[in-house]
Amino acid sequence: MSDWVERFNLLAQALLQSPSLAIALTLAAYFAGIYLFRLFGSPVWTPPILISATLLAGSLALAGVDYNIYWGQAQWLTVLLGPATVALGVPLYQQIHHIRALWRPILFTLPLAATLAALYALGLAAIFGASPEVLASLAPKSVTAPIAIGITEQLGGSVPLMMGGLLVTGVVATLCVDFLGRWLKIADERILGLALGLNGHAIGTARAFEISPAAGAFASLGMGLTGIFTALMLPLAFRLAL
Amino acid sequence: MLMLRGFLVLMVFFLFGEALRVLFGLPVSAGVLGMILIAGFLMVWGRVSDSLAVASESFISVLVLLIMPGVVGVFFLADVFAGMWLAIGVALLLGTFLSVLTTLLLMRHFAPAASGGDTGE
Repeated sequence: MSDWVERFNLLAQALLQSPSLAIALTLAAYFAGIYLFRLFGSPVWTPPILISATLLAGSLALAGVDYNIYWGQAQWLTVLLGPATVALGVPLYQQIHHIRALWRPILFTLPLAATLAALYALGLAAIFGASPEVLASLAPKSVTAPIAIGITEQLGGSVPLMMGGLLVTGVVATLCVDFLGRWLKIADERILGLALGLNGHAIGTARAFEISPAAGAFASLGMGLTGIFTALMLPLAFRLAL
Repeated sequence: MLMLRGFLVLMVFFLFGEALRVLFGLPVSAGVLGMILIAGFLMVWGRVSDSLAVASESFISVLVLLIMPGVVGVFFLADVFAGMWLAIGVALLLGTFLSVLTTLLLMRHFAPAASGGDTGE
């Protein structure tokens, strides 16, 4: 008997030493999240990734696996974020003709709005006494995740905190655009789309595609341009400020 | 094969981005630099090859999977930032409300001219 207990202990150790288990768990949670999301009727307030992440966090906690060990093994997946970020340049190029159609509002509003999206969060957090690490984690909150990870690492913030902020921002921005768009009587789908992509990154863009393909195209454009602009400006601004 | 060829193109642009970042000491991630480089390259080149289209679509469709290990960390950081949850909450909720409001007002201010004169395309 004790022989077998020992063997199972060895098995557990062996599994934790290779990335296979981390990858299998991540994949399983990914599909379970998508399945449950559809089962719940695709609610706006719970993106599938939140369901997947909750399931995965629960499994890790139940199995007694330290998050840092999981994170280390999952680098096998996260290293692909580099080329995946480069891949975002392709749809950006394909959307570029929209800039010609709406260049005025884009030129005048996007840099200012993207800057303010970061500044509001930084200002409010600073007033309420957030540490520099928290500020660095909140600054890219309106930027799409693969780009935001790069920004946070450059600024010296916490990737998990930034991810949490990103999720909340995406959901809140989507609800705010729906509410404020109606309140301000804005019916132009291109404006709603841009606002969704600019403030609510991928979560807002998913909502924009539900409004119409045109809104979705402008949301992708707003998301891509906000990501590039913030990635270029924020580290420079941080370098000057600190 | 098609997908792998596109994967190679993406990796090459990522490595170009990494080279730029290191050589010029830029505070921007290699992925973002690679994204700007490839968008600029496509504007000059004028079209997207099939292999690049397939590879980029595949990568973008699995982005959610790739960011998941980071998202899971949200559930394990409660102690680290204790005492700052008010600041974080206000910044996220009020900050996002204000930035959406500002964006919509700015867009509404500048858009009529564009949508009125939208005769191109």
